[in-house]
Amino acid sequence: MDGHIEFTGIGKLFPGVQALADVSFRAESGQALALLGENGAGKSTLLKILSGDVRPDSGAISIDGRPQNFQSPLDALRAGVSVIYQERQLVPTGSVAENIFAGDLPGRFGIVDYGALRARTAEIVGKFGLNIDPDEPVGRLPIARQQMVEIMKAYRRDSAVIAFDEPTASLTDSEIAVLFRIIREMKANGKIIIYVSHRLSEIFQISDRIAVLKDGRLVTTFETSASNEDELIRAMVGRDLGDTYANLSRNDKFGDTLLEARELETEYIRKVSFALRRGEVLGFAGLVGAGRTELARAIFGADRVLSGSVIFNGEEVSFKSPKDAIAAGIALCPEDRKEQGLVLFRSIRDNIAMPVLQKLKRLLFLDRRADQKLAESAIERYGIRTTGADKLVAELSGGNQQKVILGRWTSEKIETKLLILDEPTKGIDVGTKAEVYQIICDFAKQGIGVIFISSELTEVINVADRILVMKGGRITGELARAEATEENVLALAMSE
Amino acid sequence: MVGVKVGKFLRGKIAALLAVILVVAAIFTIANKSYMSPKNIMALMTSVSLSGTLAVGLGCLLISGHVDLASGTEGCIAGIVVALLLGTGMPWPVALLLTIAFGCVMGLVNAFLVNTLGFMAFIATIGMSSVYKGLALVISNGSNVSISNQAFYDIGSGSIGIFPAPFIMMAALFAVYTLILKFTKFGRAVYLCGGNVSAARLAGVSPKRVSSILFVNSGAISAFAGAVFAARVHMGGPNNVFGAEMDAIAASVLGGVSFTGGSGGLGGAFVGLILINAFNNGLNAIGLQAYWQTAAQGVILIAALLVDYFGERGRVRALKPAS
Repeated sequence: MDGHIEFTGIGKLFPGVQALADVSFRAESGQALALLGENGAGKSTLLKILSGDVRPDSGAISIDGRPQNFQSPLDALRAGVSVIYQERQLVPTGSVAENIFAGDLPGRFGIVDYGALRARTAEIVGKFGLNIDPDEPVGRLPIARQQMVEIMKAYRRDSAVIAFDEPTASLTDSEIAVLFRIIREMKANGKIIIYVSHRLSEIFQISDRIAVLKDGRLVTTFETSASNEDELIRAMVGRDLGDTYANLSRNDKFGDTLLEARELETEYIRKVSFALRRGEVLGFAGLVGAGRTELARAIFGADRVLSGSVIFNGEEVSFKSPKDAIAAGIALCPEDRKEQGLVLFRSIRDNIAMPVLQKLKRLLFLDRRADQKLAESAIERYGIRTTGADKLVAELSGGNQQKVILGRWTSEKIETKLLILDEPTKGIDVGTKAEVYQIICDFAKQGIGVIFISSELTEVINVADRILVMKGGRITGELARAEATEENVLALAMSE
Repeated sequence: MVGVKVGKFLRGKIAALLAVILVVAAIFTIANKSYMSPKNIMALMTSVSLSGTLAVGLGCLLISGHVDLASGTEGCIAGIVVALLLGTGMPWPVALLLTIAFGCVMGLVNAFLVNTLGFMAFIATIGMSSVYKGLALVISNGSNVSISNQAFYDIGSGSIGIFPAPFIMMAALFAVYTLILKFTKFGRAVYLCGGNVSAARLAGVSPKRVSSILFVNSGAISAFAGAVFAARVHMGGPNNVFGAEMDAIAASVLGGVSFTGGSGGLGGAFVGLILINAFNNGLNAIGLQAYWQTAAQGVILIAALLVDYFGERGRVRALKPAS
């Protein structure tokens, strides 16, 4: 019962981002250690290293004092480590039983013993007290039940170390109760539990100790019984980037109302109402899955609006598709710029000219000179670091790719009235972030209304003029920049 | 329990295809009585066996989420290789085994391109297909290489009762591989890899190892199919076999093997093959002009996919309220 797992000096560098730096902590058998941190704090990377999916650049993991060197997920499984991922790792066409025993089906001489498979699955399902047929294809189960199957997979392996990544994100209350009962049973059996979540109430219910991560570093660890919510939130937030924000040259002249949403509803958002003025930067804060991206998609005509209305530029609009929204002067820079924003293997010039090709036409053909001029002006305006307009976007750094997208929607050939930026600084370095903030303020000065969605609290409360906080598809609060602190925004984003 | 299984089967895809086969056979029999004659059925079984044998290796690859578009040309070049080997006076079992070994090597090349270099199977095997087609022309000097080993002929043109030898061997392969896919841990790993690669990897299965084995397997089976075809026509030629892989893929998908992997089975592929070949054979039986036959073959495939499409939509709709 004196088993433990120890992380020593774990570091991981992804292109442009220090995901983890010198993270050391220890988790004991029979206890649950909660990992807490904002989005991007490094929790997921840490779990991927634990599961052997990603290899750390520095540092080591040891279990019961024996150093481990996981080269693959199989190594981690053999060493007794199971990780339950938030993105379910299931085969929808496979049965519940086959998913639970994936990679380790019962049987001898390579022949599957279906009788034993079914019996052992029924036993596990029974322990969970759920009514699930072992032969049912997993894809036919409701999402919450699929998540439970994912958990049964780890339970079945009976590993010494079991890590949960936001396990309750898609569970209902009754299933959460089952999960907590199972976790308590695991603790009683001497398992080491690592529990990643940003739901504070859960962490207080289930964990014994709490480790707080921030920007890839371990801030501190608490005994759960000796800590409180305020203390945790302060630890998650504490950081100083003051100067960057103090030096921003902001817009202070707001115009009339540019965009108004009244009780807007889609499949993902509930009765969202707000207004945005010309020249204003409106921040949207919240945790991943709070409904901010979905709100942007609703305004942009990408998701179907079920009820409510949008008033844009003085008239009620109902965009059937993003094409209509673009024609009306709305631009969206999506969160996943590589998948949804850019054509990676085309030049900077082609990417910038994309929405205005019609305007660059001379007779039937593209006017290459106008095209080139457009790109060069964006490169100069935003300081895009490149050898020329011909360079492929794929060869640029993340920050410069983001500038290409901004350049596309603000070129002289296009009249953007509303710019929606979804996580514009994701994965880009601190220096370039500061440039992007200034670019955002410059848009506002031109009278463009900006919706600035960001999961990084510090930037959203320091760059935006006004901050709306979302949770579960609703707006849970509104704060002016002067009154917003990371503590009160986070409290709204996590409010029950 | 058995009743439930029978009910499930009757509502399934294979039962639907069998029903379509019966309808097709009935129509052609009415149009031409000799459609159901033993002679025509033997011809049908013989014609099924080439693409059918390829479909065994290809079906496994498709289920794992890969494809081997070179399997036709692998068979083609194997036919020439076996003919050349037999030409040296080598005993035919040795020549056949060497040819199958050669097929394994071709499969290894595919596995190397896809798993070591990371190319997409679709493109990599199209490329290799062209390489093999060229090599087939080179080693055969562009003309057919005839086979004079009488004993070897029997593999391709012998028969037991009304069952031609190539058909028996194909059916045996289908049976063995169906059992492997259904009852062995490796077989289940094939489905796991095709259904969700990252889940497979995180469960400790190596998708690369699984697909490498399947590529080698497909190469070996393609070589075997090519050798059997050469035995049937008494020669290896640069135009043999080529193109049969498309029938094999079409039949597999028609029979419920997902092109993106993870679902379906060889049983469905087998029934799909019978349907395609029964239809093509019937077009001959009613004497449709050859040019129109090609078009009609495409039409039945698209029609079958349409039936499937609407069936699938119905099933999805039926599932919705539950979730």
